[in-house]
Amino acid sequence: MSTIDAISLPTRDELYENAARTFGVALERLARGYEADPDIRRDLLQEIHVALWRSFEGFDGRCSLRTWTYRVAHNVGATHVLHQRRSRQQTLVGLEELENLPDANSGAKAVDRSQALDRLLELIRKLKPLDRHVILSYLEGLDAASIGEVAGLSPGNVATKIHRIKNVLARWFQQGGTRS
Amino acid sequence: MNENNQAQQVWQSQPVEGIRMSADAIRLRAGKFERKIRRRNLRESIASLLVIVGFSYFFATSPEILLRITWGLFIAGMIWVLVALQTKANPKSMPATAIGASSCLDFFRSELEHQRDALKNVWTWYLAPLVPGYIALNVAWFHNFPHSRWVGFVVLDVVFVAIFVGVWKMNQHAARCLQRTIDDLGRSAS
Repeated sequence: MSTIDAISLPTRDELYENAARTFGVALERLARGYEADPDIRRDLLQEIHVALWRSFEGFDGRCSLRTWTYRVAHNVGATHVLHQRRSRQQTLVGLEELENLPDANSGAKAVDRSQALDRLLELIRKLKPLDRHVILSYLEGLDAASIGEVAGLSPGNVATKIHRIKNVLARWFQQGGTRS
Repeated sequence: MNENNQAQQVWQSQPVEGIRMSADAIRLRAGKFERKIRRRNLRESIASLLVIVGFSYFFATSPEILLRITWGLFIAGMIWVLVALQTKANPKSMPATAIGASSCLDFFRSELEHQRDALKNVWTWYLAPLVPGYIALNVAWFHNFPHSRWVGFVVLDVVFVAIFVGVWKMNQHAARCLQRTIDDLGRSAS
């Protein structure tokens, strides 16, 4: 038996199980950034899982499992926002505009983590899909290179966006603050 | 701890439900989803076929050649619209692999462009195919009833044209909105 024959590539189910086990919690948080309603969010999360499982049919290992998983999740999330925006007539803003928007909660201190999280989610859900993807990935702790690879943005562009995110978050936390 | 680390910590420590789906559960759900799509397509096809059957009845029973041409043109127009609805207007079904192989920027842009093109070209695939039948109906009407009260028919024509122009304008407006989003995406990515 040749070496190539001996190497058994992971099956679609194995790839999915691996991704779900490793990134399942991150996917759940990510779905929260794309949908506020708990019932619709549960459906969205299931849709992400189904899309992920289906996508692994053509996974060729040219990018990491993490990049692939995040791409699928964000692409499903962005499509969801696109469809929901039409029905809800929502106006979304870019990071640039968000930097200049007055904070609606200015002066009001977030008394606990739960309130801080609610305000963070409110801020995220104001953003257009691409910027939303960048902030969610940043909050997940992805580095600039990984964010760029998933989003399809140049390193310079990601750096600018992260700089803006940091400004927005710094202003937001300084004004609101939170108790651990 | 700085504010950014604080935000990351708030985000990463949020409570989650821990929803897990086994590969079997996923397969089941994917199957359900595909059946739902098939049922929806079948419903759409049946509704359109009923209209075509109705037109075919008029086509078969019309005693006069001009009326037969009219119904024939309507049938051809409806078939054109039906095919176009399946290929252009339906939301692009997510290609299983492309969704993971494409970056968010490419995938989102292609989704937007697909929707914009369908709206922008609504005249060619949705409105224009029905025009020949309507013109033929006018000709047949005046040929068969030359002394009828034409005012009523002119009013009907005006309403028909107004509906066509209204549908076209609404779609052009929606296409322009999508184009703005695409331009915005380009700016945001540059």
